[in-house]
Amino acid sequence: MVLMVYVCKIFFCRFSLGDARRPLHETVVLVEDVVHTQLINLLQQAAEISQLRGARVISAEDLLFLMRKDKKKLRRLIKYLFIRDYKSKIVKGIDEDDLLEDKLSGSSNTNKRQKFAQDFLNSIDQTGELLAMFEDDEIDEVKQERMERAERQTRIMDSAQYAEFCESRQLSFSKKASKFRDWLDCSSMEIKPNVVAMEILAYLAYETVAQLVDLALLVRQDMVTKAGDPFSHAISATFIQYHNSAESTAACGVEAHSDAIQPCHIREAVRRYGRKIGPLSPFTVRSRWAASVVTIG
Amino acid sequence: MPSAPSRAPRPLAYWVIPQLPTADPLPMDEETETYLELYLDQCAVQDDFVPPRSPLFSPVVPYVYTPNPSNPETTFNSHLESKETSGNFSSVDLSFLPDELTQENKDQAVIRSKHETEENSETQSQQSRLPLPSGQDVGPGSDSSSLSNSRSHLHPGDANSIQSAPAKPNCNSSPLASITPMTPMTPVSECCGIVPQLQNIVSTVNLACKLDLKKIALHAKNAEYNPKRFAAVIMRIREPRTTALIFSSGKMVCTGAKSEEQSRLAARKYARVVQKLGFPARFLDFKIQNMVGSCDVRFSIRLEGLVLTHQQFSSYEPELFPGLIYRMVKPRIVLLIFVSGKVVLTGAKERSEIYEAFENIYPILKGFRKA
Repeated sequence: MVLMVYVCKIFFCRFSLGDARRPLHETVVLVEDVVHTQLINLLQQAAEISQLRGARVISAEDLLFLMRKDKKKLRRLIKYLFIRDYKSKIVKGIDEDDLLEDKLSGSSNTNKRQKFAQDFLNSIDQTGELLAMFEDDEIDEVKQERMERAERQTRIMDSAQYAEFCESRQLSFSKKASKFRDWLDCSSMEIKPNVVAMEILAYLAYETVAQLVDLALLVRQDMVTKAGDPFSHAISATFIQYHNSAESTAACGVEAHSDAIQPCHIREAVRRYGRKIGPLSPFTVRSRWAASVVTIG
Repeated sequence: MPSAPSRAPRPLAYWVIPQLPTADPLPMDEETETYLELYLDQCAVQDDFVPPRSPLFSPVVPYVYTPNPSNPETTFNSHLESKETSGNFSSVDLSFLPDELTQENKDQAVIRSKHETEENSETQSQQSRLPLPSGQDVGPGSDSSSLSNSRSHLHPGDANSIQSAPAKPNCNSSPLASITPMTPMTPVSECCGIVPQLQNIVSTVNLACKLDLKKIALHAKNAEYNPKRFAAVIMRIREPRTTALIFSSGKMVCTGAKSEEQSRLAARKYARVVQKLGFPARFLDFKIQNMVGSCDVRFSIRLEGLVLTHQQFSSYEPELFPGLIYRMVKPRIVLLIFVSGKVVLTGAKERSEIYEAFENIYPILKGFRKA
């Protein structure tokens, strides 16, 4: 599968979010599937919402609306949009050609995306919670943890490794927009997402992969039987079931830190935290989730 | 600002106030002292204090402003005028517009003629001078200038300069503190020999007359005009290599120059083109809006570490942009820091801000040097 190669690359870059150097192929396949399912799910729901609105395209508003329940994720998304705007503004000022391009395209909106998001949330906000998000300055813990993890990892790398690491971090779904669209099978949909919506979807895909990695790492950490841990005997039965016959819990635990994330970790993460993964997490139906994951490889 | 015209004209050599310990240990060469002098010129020095060092400056006579004894009041007033109305001052820049002479008053004519001579000496001097922190492109190289020329050096220098306090009426509480880090005229930073190079300057000027863009586009070479796409004429000249956006209101944006003087020169050339097409173009309110500099620290930087320790200033989203965006508060500059060690500085209105920002960031970057 051509797309697999692409996603493999993406996931490889996600090792920056905590994975080892070369991800296992099976893990990548699994992650791709999970992300794919999530996004298709999201798209379908967004399409329904658009239809309700009577719009012809899926726009950012639909996605924002779907995510309204999860404040943390929403906030991260808003911050991302803001950074995107800010970066365009800065880069534009640097090169004269960019400046001309911007003027010629007629859009001199510096905070286009963020303002747009803010306006929309304003319109649907009934309790004032959503708007409070914009003023909220509290630290995003998840992001903080990711930054710390990256910092720890990079400290021990040498310069060649670091260069490779940086390059891989720069990959994103939005860079391969056409492939991304095909992957999501947008052409077969009646209502298609517009450009901003695609940007947001690319970001959400990235976030989903990141979340999966975060949670899988947590799972992996849990698998290490620590001396003196009173609950080590209480590892879930379903968890053990996912290991293939060759592995044993102990073996898994021993290799935990230096090894790549195994598919078993991913599956367990989904099982345990299925409700939290993905942009639609508050709406996720657990049974549908568990079923879809079990049928994979 | 010189305090009041009521004072008797005196040698406007606003010298170093005695309590200047910081100035002493530094190797003071000609250029340094000139820079200091010019900087202090802009701060009100209450006393007519001539420090013992003044004899040193006799060889540097060209930079001493001594009012013409024959017409002290006029020149003094002109000096003041030029300081207070820096906008108007630049309006007399167009040396090629003889008809302006009848409109302006005599004082400004005096200034303009001085500026003309400055113009001449400027174009003679090399472009590739060391960038001075004060932004003064007049260096000691113009030895041939007579006293009047040198006076003109001072004036436009003061009015045009991209120094830290160009036309501000009041000086900072510690003006010297802010110049001490940059005191060497050659802006060699204290820790390294790296100097940010200016890459792009964006400036605006008001031609102060309504323009018929169609006419300009038809008659001018290298002009593009597509009203459906954008409501301005895009004109380009080769020397200095720049691009201008000319609007029908008479406002113009000039981009692409590599130094402040080049930007000004280019803007004047565009104004001349417009003028030659029959419009009564003037040259008002020339202002540098943005300056972009770049340099290379020549080592890899571990951006993850930087973003963690300087969270409130930096944002790093590698999947969005390969560089770290660092928003420095003082001076208010945005730096784009890349893993390779390249640093781009933007958002400056004055050259000194770029140098200062780089001085500030360099030790931080050294701390995150990657192997």
